Amino acid sequence: MSTLRFLAATSLAAFTLATWPMLAWQDLPAQERRGSDPPHTLDLTWDRWLDHKEIGERMQLMARTWPKFLTLSSMGKSYGGRELWVMTINNPDTGPESSKAGMYIEGNVHGNEIQGAEVCLYTIWYLMENYNRNPEIKRLVDERVFYIVPTVNPDGRDFFLYGAGAGARTGHVPVDEDGDGLFDEDGPDDLNGNGVIEQIRKYVPGQGTHRISHDDPRILEAVPPGEKGDWILLGSEGIDNDGDGRVNEDGPGGYDPNRNYGADWQPNYIQSGAMDYPFQLPEARATEEFLRARPNIAASQSYHNSGGMILRGPGSAWYGDYPPSDIRVYNEIGENGERMLPWYEYYIIWQGLYTVHGGAIDWYNDGHGHISFSNELWNNNQYFQSPLLRDQQQDQRTPISRGLSRYFFDDYLEFGEHYYEWTPFNHPDYGEVELGGWGKLTSRVNPRFMSMELFHRNMAFSLYHADQMPLMRMGETKVERVADGLYRVRVDITNERLIPTITARAANHRVVRPDLLTVSGDVEVLTAAWVPNKLVPGKTQLIDQKDLKRILVRDGHPGRTTRTVEYLVRGRGTMEVTYSSVKGGTVSTTIRLQ
Amino acid sequence: MEPSKGLRLLRGGLLLAGIMPFSGPAWSQPSSYLDHRSFSRELRSLVDGSNLATMTSLGTTPGGREIWMVQVADPRGTPLDQRPGILVVGNLEGDHVVGSHLALESIRYLLSRSSEDAVAGALRNHVFYFFPRLNPDGAEAMFARVKWARRTNDRPWDDDNDGRVDEDGPEDLNGDGYITVMRVPDPAGAYLIDPSDPRLMKRADPTKGERGTHTLYWEGIDNDGDGFINEDGPGGVDLNRNFQHAYAYWQADVGPHMVSEPETRALMDFVLSHRNIAAILTFGQSDNLVTPPNARGELAAAKVLDLPAFADASNEGVFRVGLFAGAGGGGRGPGFGGGGGGGFGAGSGGGIYLRGPLPGANNDPSSGTRPATTVNTGDLPYFEHISEIYRRITGIQSVPVHRTPEGAFFQYGYFQYGVLSLSTPGWGFSAPAPGGQGRGAAVAPEAAAGGPPAQGARTGGPPSGGAAPGGRGPGGTGQAAPGGGPAPQGAVARGGGADAELLRALEELGVQAFAPWTPFQHPTLGAVEIGGFLPYATVNPPFEQVADLGAKHGQFLVELAGKLPKVRIAETKVTAHGGGIFTVSATAENVGFLPTSLRHGQTARAVGPTFLQIQVDPDDILSGADKTTSVGILNGSGGRQTVTWVIRGRPGSQVEIRLHSQKAGRDSATVTLR
Repeated sequence: MSTLRFLAATSLAAFTLATWPMLAWQDLPAQERRGSDPPHTLDLTWDRWLDHKEIGERMQLMARTWPKFLTLSSMGKSYGGRELWVMTINNPDTGPESSKAGMYIEGNVHGNEIQGAEVCLYTIWYLMENYNRNPEIKRLVDERVFYIVPTVNPDGRDFFLYGAGAGARTGHVPVDEDGDGLFDEDGPDDLNGNGVIEQIRKYVPGQGTHRISHDDPRILEAVPPGEKGDWILLGSEGIDNDGDGRVNEDGPGGYDPNRNYGADWQPNYIQSGAMDYPFQLPEARATEEFLRARPNIAASQSYHNSGGMILRGPGSAWYGDYPPSDIRVYNEIGENGERMLPWYEYYIIWQGLYTVHGGAIDWYNDGHGHISFSNELWNNNQYFQSPLLRDQQQDQRTPISRGLSRYFFDDYLEFGEHYYEWTPFNHPDYGEVELGGWGKLTSRVNPRFMSMELFHRNMAFSLYHADQMPLMRMGETKVERVADGLYRVRVDITNERLIPTITARAANHRVVRPDLLTVSGDVEVLTAAWVPNKLVPGKTQLIDQKDLKRILVRDGHPGRTTRTVEYLVRGRGTMEVTYSSVKGGTVSTTIRLQ
Repeated sequence: MEPSKGLRLLRGGLLLAGIMPFSGPAWSQPSSYLDHRSFSRELRSLVDGSNLATMTSLGTTPGGREIWMVQVADPRGTPLDQRPGILVVGNLEGDHVVGSHLALESIRYLLSRSSEDAVAGALRNHVFYFFPRLNPDGAEAMFARVKWARRTNDRPWDDDNDGRVDEDGPEDLNGDGYITVMRVPDPAGAYLIDPSDPRLMKRADPTKGERGTHTLYWEGIDNDGDGFINEDGPGGVDLNRNFQHAYAYWQADVGPHMVSEPETRALMDFVLSHRNIAAILTFGQSDNLVTPPNARGELAAAKVLDLPAFADASNEGVFRVGLFAGAGGGGRGPGFGGGGGGGFGAGSGGGIYLRGPLPGANNDPSSGTRPATTVNTGDLPYFEHISEIYRRITGIQSVPVHRTPEGAFFQYGYFQYGVLSLSTPGWGFSAPAPGGQGRGAAVAPEAAAGGPPAQGARTGGPPSGGAAPGGRGPGGTGQAAPGGGPAPQGAVARGGGADAELLRALEELGVQAFAPWTPFQHPTLGAVEIGGFLPYATVNPPFEQVADLGAKHGQFLVELAGKLPKVRIAETKVTAHGGGIFTVSATAENVGFLPTSLRHGQTARAVGPTFLQIQVDPDDILSGADKTTSVGILNGSGGRQTVTWVIRGRPGSQVEIRLHSQKAGRDSATVTLR
């Protein structure tokens, strides 16, 4: 039904454009255009959580709408056979993909952390809608390539959306969690069929560990030591499916898909959920193959939830921090991110979150030389934002004090949508119990009505991040005849943006091809040297390499920096100097020897 | 097959006394090491002649060769995946071709003697999985016109990261059919001719007043004109460096990441889907079988050759050429000026407030469990016991050369898969090595360690700087240090290497393992001498030994199978309380030798629990144990554990009790309630 509604909306939009040409904004005089928002080419709504099928449909629709820029393909299939859709955004007029720095954006590696997918879709849509409107967006699309993967865990996503919400972090490769030789045979069950896995509580007067709160009868609170409560909690809704006497001990999957990447990977007993070797999972493996085939990717973002964080690696302190020059780059982007994302804080993963071995963004940084972040979308402080309400939250007497605020918000702003009243149920294993509590689309997932701001701010951060990728330019050239047929040639080479062409970590790991400074033309290069500062006379640093027409620059070109190379050449006519970097593009300049 | 020239040169006496001749009309054996095509044919003919063996391809290598898996077992009786199994993997390192032949001969042993009681029992109660030649790409180099001891598979790889792939391999300049070493007179050289054996080279020690006279290179020319010789030859990944324990991140030949290759992935997927594998034997260039781990659980220090390591070192500087910092540019700091004004936010960078990431939860950076790096002392007696058996059967008391097992499969087998996991070069000498391979001289724990490096440790974790390539190159010697020099991989380097000792041992047995130095006019280096250890000669025995060694390893495998754990329900007991209430108990027993799990198998959460399960509705259990109850680790030789349930049941009815062990088989018993 949701699909029908969606198709109806889009065909209505098409109808409007086709039959009411006088309102097409392109035809309006500039004056009027400024006065009113232009209609969108695609009037998409952003207040629903889409399943994998709807994501695919929306991507196909966008790819059909903007065929020049958008290419829809699949990185591979999930374990459950779902396509891992990737949208490539590239303007072919400004060069093939491989000639431009790429930004890789993914979401939803944890099945229950859904909203990253919508941020991804919104990003594609926003870039296309604004390409012809906003010169900054046009420049960004023209200079860069974007690879956008809304969900790298579509099995987990659909399990979360269609299932009852519990046990949805994992992917769906079967794992024998209880070691009985059976796989995924006893997961949670939606016993009362209301689409939500609730908590189970049992009334045991005077013998329990919990009691009903005086503040709100919906709140079950632990009793202080020495006192008795009337209730015990019996875990998540479920039964003993395999008859082994245990409840919910081996559900679907049973691992952490974001611990299966190749940097600082550790076995299960050190890093729970790591699986048995890196890239064992089909989704992680497909991602790895995709990235390996696109060395032009220089930056990456993996959207998670929640907590309001802008995270960088490393995930583990054992692994050692990044080299100082890389940290400076991370700090500048991360701190500007904090300014773009209220309530979000910039952290190192192990320091601000917890220790993670084998996480995706660590691998993107260490194995591929990206500058990589992971945003934890949504912070619970965003429920009550103003200083006034923040103060009230500290006050036990108000209805939005810490323990109560969640109920208040659900009651007054979401009309009670997410809280499920406790209701009696006759459980096959536990007898008379009650099921109830919070549903799945709360706490970690933002309220739907607040999505648009979350999508836009996080997209804006990733576009800013993308804009900092290396961008090489040739600068001033200077030729001086020093003897008959001998010339001294100087060329300025600039990286305009913050991120170096090769991070220091990547140079140490040798995972990025060195930059190449090459010379062609009918010339013999006698010497080559770096000029420390062309404005100050003084010595140069001779480059000690065998082939001066193909100079390796293993540690790349730093951000926002101009270097000057000096050649002493014998020859005539013209010579072409080319600076080729895998992640910052290739630039050339032609010099006439005279 | 015609023996190669190299093998004719290698013809020599048999190393070991007490050869048991091996014959049988249906089991004629090859007369030389076999290339992939012939080796596959040989495997096929063995398997086709037997109803006890199957042969499956589990993938293809980057070079397009099949990865064979041969399963040997008597298919009648217990389903194979419920039997304790033994995995055998050979020829992980390309140049260790003997490993594949030992696996082949072991298969032949099992099949040809399947009527003997011991073998028949092993085939009835167990299952053997063989990956005889995991690295057929690397092995094929042994059969090339020019012999070059290559360990790696055929994945194209830009070893020197210069943007050109496999562009500078070796050349057989003197046309003798081998890639050996060039020694070049050089007043700035680091090496001098060893006065005690002028064939060998030693590193000049200035503290002893020694002056270097030579520089050493691998035989070849500088094909790409970058100033280095043979720094990027064909081939990519050393498969026995590509596994998850103590993986040497970003080092030479280890691959882009753990388990990156089709061969290693095929093997991993196989062992993960065959959790009944209870012991692993690998033939490889590391050893924990001839010399078991010492009392602290550490492996013996590597024993490597200096001469190839010295030649490797000639390319150590390759990653320093091209560093802007190294060009005198003064580091990675900015040149001058800023970039263009493009980009929103650009230009504000210099002035913005920078404070770095927030400290957050302030987690303790040293917290968390580290992976084990030494064998659990509780498991040591089993390694020692199996080692004794191995030495008794094979007569091998010392091995020729062996290297530090970073990323080696057998280390994964113990440290992460949790089973008794063994590695042996598969041949050696009947006398203990003089002064070498002592139990005391052990690899430093950090060097052998898994994953996260201690501060400053050079291996196991990501290096922080442009590191010298350790142990790469043709015929390279693994990760141990060239004698006398600083240990580039953290391994303990014994002064002097193993060159003289090994050369002497091989010569005593009539093996020619060294090409004498002969003059040659090199196109760029001028007058040089070419010579050194013959490729393959130091890691493979003369082929004449293989049949006998293979049979002995077959015999060892049969004895190893007899040591595996085996569980049964030893006793059951029923007590009636009246009113349909009964106490039922069952005793699980391990009648094998090894425990149902090694200690580390439990620590690593790698071995599934051994459990008893009573087949009644959980609601009918009134008291006592859960329906499914783990019995913990049952030691071998009769370790027992009893589980008791109080249940409700119909008098006279029967109740089944099941015993399930991942590595030690299954059993069941039925009791009658009365």
